[in-house]
Amino acid sequence: MDIVVCVKRVPDTSEADVIIAKDERTVEAGDLVFDINEWDKYAVEEAVLLKEKYGGTVTAVTLGPDETEDTLRRCFATGADKAIRLTDSAFEGSDAAAIAKIIHQAVKDLKFDLIFTGTQASDDGYGQVGPVLASLLGTPHASVVTQVDIADGKARVQRELEGGLSEVVEVPLPAVFTIQTGINEPRYVSIMGVRKAAGKEIETAGLADLGLTAEDVGEKGSMTKVERLFLPPVTKEAEIIQGSPDEASTRLAQIIKDKGGFS
Amino acid sequence: MQQGLAEKYELFGCMQCGKCTAGCPVSLRGPLNIRRLIREVMIDRNLEAAARPEFWDCTTCSTCSLRCPRGLEPHELIIGIRGALIEEGRIPATARDALEGVFKHGNPWGRIRSKRSEWAADLGIKDLSKGDKADLLYFVCCAASYDPRVQEVAKALTDSLAKAGVDFGILGNEESCCGSEVRRMGEEGLFEMLVEDNLKLFHERGITKVVTTSPHCYDAFKNKYQDSEIEFQHYTQLVADLISQGQLTFSKELNKVVTYHDPCYLGKQNSIYDEPRYILKSIPGIQFVDFDRCRERSLCCEGGGGRMWVEGTDAGERLSGIRIRDAVEMGVDIVATACPFCLLTLEDAAKTAGLDGKIEIKDIMELVAQAI
Ligand code: SF4
Ligand code: SF4
Repeated sequence: MDIVVCVKRVPDTSEADVIIAKDERTVEAGDLVFDINEWDKYAVEEAVLLKEKYGGTVTAVTLGPDETEDTLRRCFATGADKAIRLTDSAFEGSDAAAIAKIIHQAVKDLKFDLIFTGTQASDDGYGQVGPVLASLLGTPHASVVTQVDIADGKARVQRELEGGLSEVVEVPLPAVFTIQTGINEPRYVSIMGVRKAAGKEIETAGLADLGLTAEDVGEKGSMTKVERLFLPPVTKEAEIIQGSPDEASTRLAQIIKDKGGFS
Repeated sequence: MQQGLAEKYELFGCMQCGKCTAGCPVSLRGPLNIRRLIREVMIDRNLEAAARPEFWDCTTCSTCSLRCPRGLEPHELIIGIRGALIEEGRIPATARDALEGVFKHGNPWGRIRSKRSEWAADLGIKDLSKGDKADLLYFVCCAASYDPRVQEVAKALTDSLAKAGVDFGILGNEESCCGSEVRRMGEEGLFEMLVEDNLKLFHERGITKVVTTSPHCYDAFKNKYQDSEIEFQHYTQLVADLISQGQLTFSKELNKVVTYHDPCYLGKQNSIYDEPRYILKSIPGIQFVDFDRCRERSLCCEGGGGRMWVEGTDAGERLSGIRIRDAVEMGVDIVATACPFCLLTLEDAAKTAGLDGKIEIKDIMELVAQAI
């Protein structure tokens, strides 16, 4: 079972004040703390679990500048065998489709049974790279995957649907799956583990290495373009509850009660 | 590797007398049996024997080590086993999240760094990260920085120090976790990284004297950082000195019956038993009574050793619940303590027992601030 996992380094914005940069199209990195995308963490874990079960290799792929090597080292520490970083200034401004094109060039000649991506990235949340990549590769794909079982050269996967439903689909290999959080319990990656991975080689590839031209990638090679980022306007319905935790929780409970939240 | 554990922790010196298990507060309510664990590590020599789920129940309170007639340190063995498992990625998910929070944001709750010193906004406290200078660094602690209940202790402490004329400052948003619980959860690599970063920061800021809110920070600094150029104190030591030298004086009476719960990291692990009692007895009006199980025999609150982030397998009554019940029987108005984790676990127990309002859980510092 040879598995390629696509990972992305993203800012942790759960509690941070997100500041939109002057160009109105990006977010200021400022004091933001970066880490592997939450969904990708589960994808890497799932790949390593399958490797532990069936043997084979796990290759982690990411796209981005030097800093993204941290993310790949984390993948090594989780159990990946190889890592590839795709990097070129021409890649800037690529949308999900252009990113899928870049990854496609990097993986199409690799030997693989499965390619995993996270279901979506916590920063732009498109959820497109996996499906577009599958279509470029001409392989089947399944999205929002919550369980993977392999038998007789086929995968039986469970997909999360709306309203708490799941469906089970059988997919011939090779295939692309986008992995949902909760599919497993990602292991802790210790500092010692990351340090041990410090010496491992990370392959890099740029535009020319991948046989691409500037027309294929960046804004020119994209199907969508971010015009403007903005914070959602505060509407009248929103109420910021002030006061001590006791006061605030009492007020919150009252609101929920008034709106029929407790029955 | 298990050969390593048996030798590293000198387990062959163990005579299986069982004093460790007899003293272990956690074995009162659950399956943890430290004597048996030692035996199994010695005989089976595989990690699986040691990796029973209940071994995460250990609070690393160190009672076992205190009681062992052969001078073994069973609680360090637990930390060692956790370390070996962590290198395999095997750790409860909640503990994993706490460690990742420390790595990414400098605190086990994973709260954002830019809000670390929000509690001190408008209090006019010197901030050494902004270039202010002071004789003493007040090391606030993650719990006191982010937990609204424990923030009250930090406010009481800074207010009292200011009134006593002490020249102190905090590290503002530059302060990071001391790593005490990180080490005790077994993440030695992350702990070493924190020691290195924190000492570098202390030296850069010219810090020579540090006082802490938490016995956990104090214990880590004093016993594991061991920096010869910096003097570390728990606040109970400093405040006891300020009172005895007449720098801190009281103007109000607190007519309450008060007992004191010894935090394990302050008492059992650092033999600081007298200073907290001295402070409480100095406050006018307080009638002080000790628990039957006090000082070296004190019951653990179960907040240590990473247990703030690990639910544990033990099903019996929480030790903090027993503590509160005892306090009610003694007829006290207030259970005082001197540790953020004890404060939170005991208060939780009082609420769970429906005794909220009947008995108060306070940090010693809050009582001091009230009586000044
Ligand atoms: S108290 Fe010491 S000698 Fe006795 S069983 Fe425990 S570890 Fe062994
Ligand atoms: S450190 Fe405390 S909880 Fe852990 S085994 Fe020893 S006595 Fe029990």
